[in-house]
Amino acid sequence: MKKSAILGIIVIAVAIAVIISTYSNSSTYGSFKDAEKTQSELHIVGHLNKQKPLYYDATKDANYFSFYMKDNKGEECKVVFTGTKPQDFERSEQIVLTGAMRGNEFHASKILMKCPSKYTEDKVEVTEANAKQASL
Amino acid sequence: MDTVFKGEHLLPGHLGQLFVILSFGTALLSTISYFFATTQTNKLDKSWQRLGRIGFYINTISVVGIGCCLFYIIYNTLFEYHYAWAHSSRKLPVYYIISSYWEGQEGSFWLWTFWQAVLGNVLVWKARSWENPVMTVVMLSQTLISSMLLGVVIFGERVGSSPFILLREALQAPIFSRPDYLQYIKDGNGLNPLLQNYWMVIHPPTLFLGFASMIIPFAYAVAGLWQKRYTEWVAPAISYGLFAIMVLGTGIIMGSFWAYESLNFGGFWNWDPVENASVIPWLVLVAAVHVLIVFKNTGHSYFTATFLTLFSFVLVLYASFLTRSGILGETSVHAFTDLGMFWHLVFDVVIFLIITITLLVWRRKELPVTRKEEETYSREFWMFVGSAFLGLSCLQLVVVTSIPVWNAMFKTHIAPPTNPIQLYNVFQAGFAFVVTLFLGFTQFLKYKKTDTTRFFITTGVYLLFSALLTALVVYVTGVYKLKFVFTLAMFGAIYGVVANAKVLADAFKGKFKLAGSAVAHIGFGLLLVGALIAAGTSKVVSNNSTGVIEVQGFDKVADVKENIMLYKYQPVDMGGYKVTYIGDSIVAPNHYFKVQYQKFDEAGKLTESFILKPNSQANAKMGLVSSPDTKHYLFHDLYTHVSAAPIKDEMQEADAMGGDEQHNPAEDAKKYDPPIVQEASLGDTIRFREGYIVLSGLNRSPKVQNIPMGKNDVMLGATLQIVSHGRNYSAEPVFMIKDGNAYDFAKKVDDIGLKVRFTKIIPQNNKFEITLYQQPESRKPYIVMRAIEFPYINFFWAGTIIMVIGFLMSIFRRNKELKVV
Repeated sequence: MKKSAILGIIVIAVAIAVIISTYSNSSTYGSFKDAEKTQSELHIVGHLNKQKPLYYDATKDANYFSFYMKDNKGEECKVVFTGTKPQDFERSEQIVLTGAMRGNEFHASKILMKCPSKYTEDKVEVTEANAKQASL
Repeated sequence: MDTVFKGEHLLPGHLGQLFVILSFGTALLSTISYFFATTQTNKLDKSWQRLGRIGFYINTISVVGIGCCLFYIIYNTLFEYHYAWAHSSRKLPVYYIISSYWEGQEGSFWLWTFWQAVLGNVLVWKARSWENPVMTVVMLSQTLISSMLLGVVIFGERVGSSPFILLREALQAPIFSRPDYLQYIKDGNGLNPLLQNYWMVIHPPTLFLGFASMIIPFAYAVAGLWQKRYTEWVAPAISYGLFAIMVLGTGIIMGSFWAYESLNFGGFWNWDPVENASVIPWLVLVAAVHVLIVFKNTGHSYFTATFLTLFSFVLVLYASFLTRSGILGETSVHAFTDLGMFWHLVFDVVIFLIITITLLVWRRKELPVTRKEEETYSREFWMFVGSAFLGLSCLQLVVVTSIPVWNAMFKTHIAPPTNPIQLYNVFQAGFAFVVTLFLGFTQFLKYKKTDTTRFFITTGVYLLFSALLTALVVYVTGVYKLKFVFTLAMFGAIYGVVANAKVLADAFKGKFKLAGSAVAHIGFGLLLVGALIAAGTSKVVSNNSTGVIEVQGFDKVADVKENIMLYKYQPVDMGGYKVTYIGDSIVAPNHYFKVQYQKFDEAGKLTESFILKPNSQANAKMGLVSSPDTKHYLFHDLYTHVSAAPIKDEMQEADAMGGDEQHNPAEDAKKYDPPIVQEASLGDTIRFREGYIVLSGLNRSPKVQNIPMGKNDVMLGATLQIVSHGRNYSAEPVFMIKDGNAYDFAKKVDDIGLKVRFTKIIPQNNKFEITLYQQPESRKPYIVMRAIEFPYINFFWAGTIIMVIGFLMSIFRRNKELKVV
């Protein structure tokens, strides 16, 4: 067999390995219900329940942050994140969590949030100027 | 009805838009003219070429014109323009105006057209017989990229996005019906605080010069196939290809330096899709140049060389599609959102893909092919195999990064890997091992045929030496604790460095021609060594437990608590340092936290002391954005950033209260624990939770402004010396009797969260009543901080610089060869 043929076979084999490993390593988007059924990590897309409290108290534990999230099927679950509260979390419109269920709580290893930041929303802020009274 | 708007400056916008249209029109004209100049049979007729050149020159002028108009608008903060309003603000210092210039997509497209125009001028000057076909391709690319800036509605669809669109055209709001709307638009959105870094001034221009220069090898390849000058195009393509690799590589590393200095993910490389998108074309062009060199020296592998050269530019366009179309959406933190150019960007990729495929199919029978097979013990064979592996490593990046694209194409719903960093690290380390191993031993092979005995001896010796060195390095740095593949990659990188060091040593003995590639290879090897150690063994030192903590991506992360809490002036032991949060300084808009690091030897003597100032910006539009500060040592870096601080709350409270406590004592009292009332004589000591207070004296004429004193009025200040956590403060609360009523003025010591009032004088026993208000712990100033140690990261930066020097040397060498041929 020619060397180039052997090389070609090796290249194709590695390429297939890459594709298969990508597929097998890829995760799934799921809901909290799916998370209860499995041990492995998965992605959950949803939004913050702003009615329920966010808990982060740096003075008690700087590495504990919890909140309630509703997934896209409307199911709600308490989420625990080991770390600080991401900045501007309250304003998030959509959250993508990566993590797994532990008991009744979803332990997130990663939080990705979408904020109505300047990139996604153009809002003109209008400020009416009024001269401040000089006070004593 | 036309409203006449007050205060708008429409001239720069109109002029700018004129230049935009002109740049598109002239680019198109130049493309067509150069096309006919190439295809016409009468070689003496220069009229098409002249027309092409005229078109190109006007194009250059209009591109510069666009730049000037846009700069004028941003520099003069003309917020009637959307671009200026969206990307800059009045507070921005001048040098960041430059970064706000290319923060938006339009600005970065302009940068691309600008560099293409500059490179076009070089080609017109230098390319001679290649000018017509090469410029046809360059100007085609220029046409397509300028069309991204058009912002003109054609057949009901807006084509491109113009930087000169007015704010009132871009947004819908009732305010724009008022002719004097401009006076209500006080300030622009400003530049994203993360981009307010000096690297952002030079990183984008470098990166885009890299992207823009990748058109040249592509154009030469197209010209070669088109004009049937199958072998001649290779030599200039190698030179320009090396230039593109050097510039793009530098741009990418500048980006990683920026990430290291101003982002919070704690590292220099995060395998974010945006980062991957810039490396993908780079890897392919590196492979392409190597195969081109193979072809030039031996005549082998023509098809692969051509294909890789052509395809590398298609990947540049694919990368710009990935980052600019908004398709990455949920997977990337910093990709652009869609500006309505999705299909426009797809069109761009498809055009160049079609050119690539068509040319290769059309000329397939005429391509120079060698029937003879490469020798196993020849340099060309292993260079070729190495390039194939570079291509494979690129394939892995493309496949994983493009998951959202596969989802869009096949209507699937696959999520990206839960731990993509680990996946990339393992795969890329594997490829790096193979590639570096090849770039090592290939140096001992000769083109065509090598004496095998000698080859095996030298290779063996150097392999053994590198293995020993690797064992040492891996043991000292702790890389062996990671997955084995990282040790392998380390071995490969070290072998690459050692083998090329030998070549370099030989080069100094006379074969100076080879020095360039040797230096570039050494730089690449060192870069990998640095990256492996720094990323693999970096440890979070802000953790109270000791020992090395497995870093995300290299091994499974446990629930590591990486953040520590620092109350002001309360030292905490952390990773061998005594760390104290000692204060703040505010240089608007940045809030700097001073963190003092002290090291003591066994005898308790202070051996080292320095202050790091990580900062946060409480940005009204973007929230709290933090940037790290790093202490650089020769062999490691100590990296510190603030992950939470109560400064935002302060801002809101200050807003709500109008900042003046006297007006709202009830609100103020909420911030403190219930008061403690103490009676004291002169010289007495009062204890409180965080220290003690000495009533050292009385001041009969304290300074209280603007209060006229009557005849019977009394005013008395209590001089207090306060000691807390080994620091001294003083305060002088004031007691006053005016018109028969008692008043008092409290004093605050914010550092220790204390408020003191002088509330009563008890004349009977000559005592004075002092009331203490202490803030609860949670009200005291604090920061939550994370600190990471990056060992040997300087190898990474040094490797980069050495690699660039190597590329420069190679470019000079190839250019010399060009002149000879």
